[in-house]
Amino acid sequence: MSLASLTKPWAATSYGFLDASAKRELRRKMLKAIAVPGCQMPYASREVPMARGWGTGGLQVTLTLVNPASTIKVIDQGADDGVNAASIRRFISRVSGAGETWDTLEASIIQSRHRVPEETMREDQILVLQVPNPEPLRGVEPNMSIARQMHADADYGRLWLTLYEQLVRKGRIMQGAAYPSLVNGRHVMTPSPIPRWDVPKLNMAKHLTFLSAGREKRLHAVPPYTKVEPLVFSDRPYRVEDHQDLVCRRSGIAGYFMNEIPQDDGSSSFEVSDSNLGIKAIRRAEGETVDIGQTWYRGGEFSA
Amino acid sequence: MLTISQPDAAEARCNTTFEALMWAMARPGQVRDMGEPGLAPVVEALIDRECVVHTDSARLAQFIANTGATPGTIEMADHLFHETLDIEALASVRCGTALYPDDGATVVLQAAHGTGTRLRLTGPGIDGVCDITLAIPPAFWSLRAALCAYPEGFDLLLVDARAVIGIPRSTHVEVL
Repeated sequence: MSLASLTKPWAATSYGFLDASAKRELRRKMLKAIAVPGCQMPYASREVPMARGWGTGGLQVTLTLVNPASTIKVIDQGADDGVNAASIRRFISRVSGAGETWDTLEASIIQSRHRVPEETMREDQILVLQVPNPEPLRGVEPNMSIARQMHADADYGRLWLTLYEQLVRKGRIMQGAAYPSLVNGRHVMTPSPIPRWDVPKLNMAKHLTFLSAGREKRLHAVPPYTKVEPLVFSDRPYRVEDHQDLVCRRSGIAGYFMNEIPQDDGSSSFEVSDSNLGIKAIRRAEGETVDIGQTWYRGGEFSA
Repeated sequence: MLTISQPDAAEARCNTTFEALMWAMARPGQVRDMGEPGLAPVVEALIDRECVVHTDSARLAQFIANTGATPGTIEMADHLFHETLDIEALASVRCGTALYPDDGATVVLQAAHGTGTRLRLTGPGIDGVCDITLAIPPAFWSLRAALCAYPEGFDLLLVDARAVIGIPRSTHVEVL
């Protein structure tokens, strides 16, 4: 080995923004994350031109995977046109030459903040979730060394206790997002702050999911066909949000996860959270030929 | 107007190789195409100065040295590149701990697909069961079962020319 053999020819920028050594490190950690589903793997988390906490973890995974043949969809709470989502999508496309899309069916990589799309993802698709807090035990054990020991011992009693206390105090589970879930029967992960509605979509899914926290410098993965079981008591079944009867005020579709829009008179109206599904439904209603994929929820019921 | 930099040859190779390795690990037993034959593309995609590597091939040792990786014994190495299978030597491979499962090694092995021992794989990434045939003796699989006390263990990448099969530690291997 010499300096000359380690040096590469000069280039104005690295392809896909990240330099080659950052990508190699992420590749090694992504393989380990797949090999131990749900287990948090530390990584260096390089600087990207975006503040920590705005999706830098997801961005680094996407930039490692991307190539000119990729098609990228980025969503923020289900919407493709949020400032954060649009900026990330344009950035990825500019540094990689990858195609941009709003359509879940066309995307090869879907980077997402806090939602899983409603249309069922295929075996060749990758879901990259941006994770603010990857540690499900943080609320019950702030010391991360002790939390690591608890993961090693599969000691999740205090998480069960939290859920039990919610039942005793409020009569129902109050955990709305980031519902702790047991992956492959061994590690409890936080599925990032996706609503309870989206957690069943990760169980025995066809697609590969990466969950990456840039600020916390950890990533974990859920491979395809892997068990993801939300922690529930046997006499209190897992319940998703009661959105099955809500109707989107713009597209008219029902049975999907909705955004609640408060009205002046104190009531609420609702819009479908997966905005491109709503757009496609509107275009179809207007007579266009639009391809709407099979959805995870049909008639408001999960059916995968 | 910003011009989009195109991936150079090395970047394109590494991206293709890693995509094959990633899907091989995510769907154990399925064959993926790396685009280039042999163990060298795997070295190029994964290995740099941060790694401790063991190899049994003199030719590959020079290629690995050029990446800046530290050569090490089997006990020390986090990545192993073996062209021939030495079951006894592999008994000392690093398997990590329950505290740090990521310390378990990645073992990249040259092994012919489609001949030899019939195996049945079950576990994450497999829809039901997956039957494959690999030119690896049953003794290796009993060693692996003894070493891989999940989440401890090592992860296997089995390379046959351009084809790669991944068997992560989460996969249960039954010799038929």
